[in-house]
Amino acid sequence: MPPPSIIWALAIAVVALLVYVSQDFVLLLLLSATVAYLINPIVKVAESAMIKRKVAVATIYLGIGAALLATAYFVFPHLRAEVNALSGNLPFFSQRFDEAVDAIQNEIAANYPAAGGLFSTREVRYEKLNSFIEHQIADVPLLLSHLASIVLAAVLIPFFSYFFLRDSRRITKFVLDRLPPGHIETTVAVWCEIDRTVGRYLRGLAIEGIVVGVLAALGLAILGINYPLLLGVVTGCANVVPYLGPIIGGAAAVLVALVQFKSLSVIIQVVVLYLSLKLLDLLAIQPLAVGKGNDLHPVLLIASIIVGGHALGIVGMVIAVPMVTIVQRIATLLFERHRQRAHVPDSHRNGGVPSHPYVC
Amino acid sequence: MAKWRWLEQVTDQEQVVRLNILEKVPLFAGLSRRQLGKLLVKFFEKEYGSGETIFNEGEPGKALFVILAGSVSICRALNEGEELLAKLSAGGYFGELALIDDQPRFASVRATEASRLLILYRSDFEDLMEGQRALAIQVMGNLLKTLAGYVRRAQSPRNGRNSTIVGQAAASDNPEMNSKSVSRD
Repeated sequence: MPPPSIIWALAIAVVALLVYVSQDFVLLLLLSATVAYLINPIVKVAESAMIKRKVAVATIYLGIGAALLATAYFVFPHLRAEVNALSGNLPFFSQRFDEAVDAIQNEIAANYPAAGGLFSTREVRYEKLNSFIEHQIADVPLLLSHLASIVLAAVLIPFFSYFFLRDSRRITKFVLDRLPPGHIETTVAVWCEIDRTVGRYLRGLAIEGIVVGVLAALGLAILGINYPLLLGVVTGCANVVPYLGPIIGGAAAVLVALVQFKSLSVIIQVVVLYLSLKLLDLLAIQPLAVGKGNDLHPVLLIASIIVGGHALGIVGMVIAVPMVTIVQRIATLLFERHRQRAHVPDSHRNGGVPSHPYVC
Repeated sequence: MAKWRWLEQVTDQEQVVRLNILEKVPLFAGLSRRQLGKLLVKFFEKEYGSGETIFNEGEPGKALFVILAGSVSICRALNEGEELLAKLSAGGYFGELALIDDQPRFASVRATEASRLLILYRSDFEDLMEGQRALAIQVMGNLLKTLAGYVRRAQSPRNGRNSTIVGQAAASDNPEMNSKSVSRD
C-alpha cells in the first residue's frame, strides 16, 4: 500500500484532470450532488424508520415528481402568461425605458435643480442602451446552442442524483473499508464536516431562496408591479448567489417598476421592499435556514465568490462558499490532528498512570 | 397477513440487525427504537481484519465505536510490553470519551478477529444534541453513569493504580454486558 500522501496527491491530480478535461461533466455531477443533498434528510428520516433506502429514494422521487406536476399544473399557466406578456412588450421596451428614465430625470431635476447636470443626454443613453441590447441579442444563438445541454442536464441530474442517494451508504462503506485504519477517524471527521457544511448550506440556500422569492412576489403584487410571479422566481433564484443575487433580483424589479410607473416614488418603494427583504433575510430567514453554516471571514467570502464566478460562472459563485468552508474545516481538522499528536501527555508517553481514570 | 408481508418487503433487515445490537448497548439504554433509528443513521460502518489496529494510544479521539460483530482487545503500553485492559465483543463499545473532549486516546484497540464496527463522529452526536434533545440527554446520562463507574473504581482501595477500565458503560448496572464483554486485571 503506497503512503497516504501519495494516494491523496493522486486523488487530487485525478480530480483536477477531470475538471480540466470535462468541466461540463463535473458541473453536472456537482448539480446532481446538490440535488441529492437537498433530498438526503428526507431519505434519512425514512431510513431511521427502518425503510429500505432504495424504497425510500424511489418513493421520494415519485412524490417530488407528483409535486412538480402539481406545481406545473397550478402555477405554470400564470407564470407563462407573465412571460408571454413580458416578451410581447419587449419590442417597445427600449422606447418605454427611455421615456421612463426621462420622466424620472425630469422629476429629480424639478425637485433638485443641482442634480440636473449629472444626467447624460438622451442620445448618449440611447446609444448605450442599444449597444447593451445588441450585445445580449448576440448571445441568444449561443444560448440556443446550449438548449440541448440544458435538456440533457434536466434528464441526467435527477438520474445521477437518484443513484447518489440510493448508493451513498454503500459508497461510503466501500471507501471506508479500503482506507488504512489509522486514517479512519480523521476521514470520518472530514466526511462528516463536508456533509454537514454542504448539506446545511445548500438546504438553507434552497429554503432561503423559496421564502425570499415568495415574499418578493407578494410584496410586488401588493405594490401593483407587473409580473410579480416572474419577478419572485427571478428574485428567489438570484438569491442563491451570495451578495450579488439580491442586487440582481432588486434591479429586475426596479427596471419593471421604472418602465411601468415612470415614477421615482414607486422605485423607492421597490428599493425599500428589497432592502426590507434583505434585512429580514439576514436577521430571521438565514439564521433559521442556514444556521451557523459558514463562518468565513467576509474578505475570504467575497474573494471565494469572485474566484468561483470566474471558474464556473453562476454555479461557481453558489458553490464557492461551501467549497472554501470545507477546505477551511479540513485544514483545521488536519492541523488539530497534527497538534494533538505532537502533544501527547508525558504520563502517557512513559507508560505511567494517565491523569484521567479512563483509557480511551 | 398481506400487510405484514408488504411491511417485510420495505423493511431494511440489515438496519434492523444493527438496531437490535444498538438496543443492547448500555450507552443507549432507555432510548426508544424510534430514537435508536435516528441515532443509527448517524453511524458509519467499517470492517476490520483480524489483528488490525483500530486506533493507537496518543491519537486524537474523534469518534465512538460500537462492535457489531467480532471482538476487540484494548491494551495500554507499559515500559515493558503491553497491558491488556479489556476484551469486548458484539454489543460492546469504546472511545466514548471522544464524544466529550478532544483528549488523545489513552489506549490502543485491536481487532482480535474479523470485526464489523459502527463509528459515530463527535460532531454528528453534537448535531443530535441540537435537534434531538431528549435523546442526547438520555445518552449523556448513560455516559455520566459510565464515568461515575470509572471514578468509583479508580477510587476503590482494592483496585489501586490498575483501576482503569474501558468502554462498558454502567457495567455494574448491566451484569449481562459485564460478564459478556469486560475482562480486566
